[in-house]
Amino acid sequence: MINTSVRIAALPEVVFPYFTDPQLLVTWIGDRADLDARPGGTFALDFSGTAARGSYVAVEPPHRVVFTWGIPEDVAMPPGSSTVEVVFVADGADTIVNLTHRDLPPDREPSHLEGWEGCLGGLITAIRR
Amino acid sequence: MTPEPGEPAAPVGPDAVLRALADPHRRQILRLVLHAELPAGQIAAHFDLTQQAVSQHLTVLKRAGVLAERREGTRRLYSLRSESLQPLRTLLDEFWPDALARLKQSVERDHPRTEKRGPT
Repeated sequence: MINTSVRIAALPEVVFPYFTDPQLLVTWIGDRADLDARPGGTFALDFSGTAARGSYVAVEPPHRVVFTWGIPEDVAMPPGSSTVEVVFVADGADTIVNLTHRDLPPDREPSHLEGWEGCLGGLITAIRR
Repeated sequence: MTPEPGEPAAPVGPDAVLRALADPHRRQILRLVLHAELPAGQIAAHFDLTQQAVSQHLTVLKRAGVLAERREGTRRLYSLRSESLQPLRTLLDEFWPDALARLKQSVERDHPRTEKRGPT
């Protein structure tokens, strides 16, 4: 499980659409997004060379959004195999964005090498930025 | 201490490991040696590549520290050095924090606070 958070100088109402509006999403992650932000709707994000695919599980503006995440070409983490939960907490005029990524393939064993592979496309993109 | 043949001479970072893994043939090689130490010939038999091409892939993996090479008589045996993947663990942990840092930049650039600043 990965958990991380960030404080942003804007209200939750402002930050939330950055996880549901394709044009806003690609300002900070990926190159192209196809999003249908309602439970069961598509979450599709393309990095250069890698596709992250999933679907929205919960869309509760401006407090919480949950979507599944996976890499279609990777048997170790197919779409739907891991879940990203983002919680937006107002703190004065700021927002604390708390992100938890659950059910990633266990990575401490060499037998789960394919899990690494799935994340590499995105990682490489992130590194090259 | 003299490094064994095939051992990296110096510690390698995530960049070298990432470059080594950024090729489907090389990832396939690693899957083959995940649980078993294999000779080069047996690895090459899995690919529609020349022996020389497979040999080059093995060299890249060795230099990145991902693959261990052991000589047994005239044979060279290859296995995965799983500890070499540890730097990637660290990188993976940084994936979302980096993304959120970009989110913060993006939101705060598009929605600057309009509060009045005091005299400087």
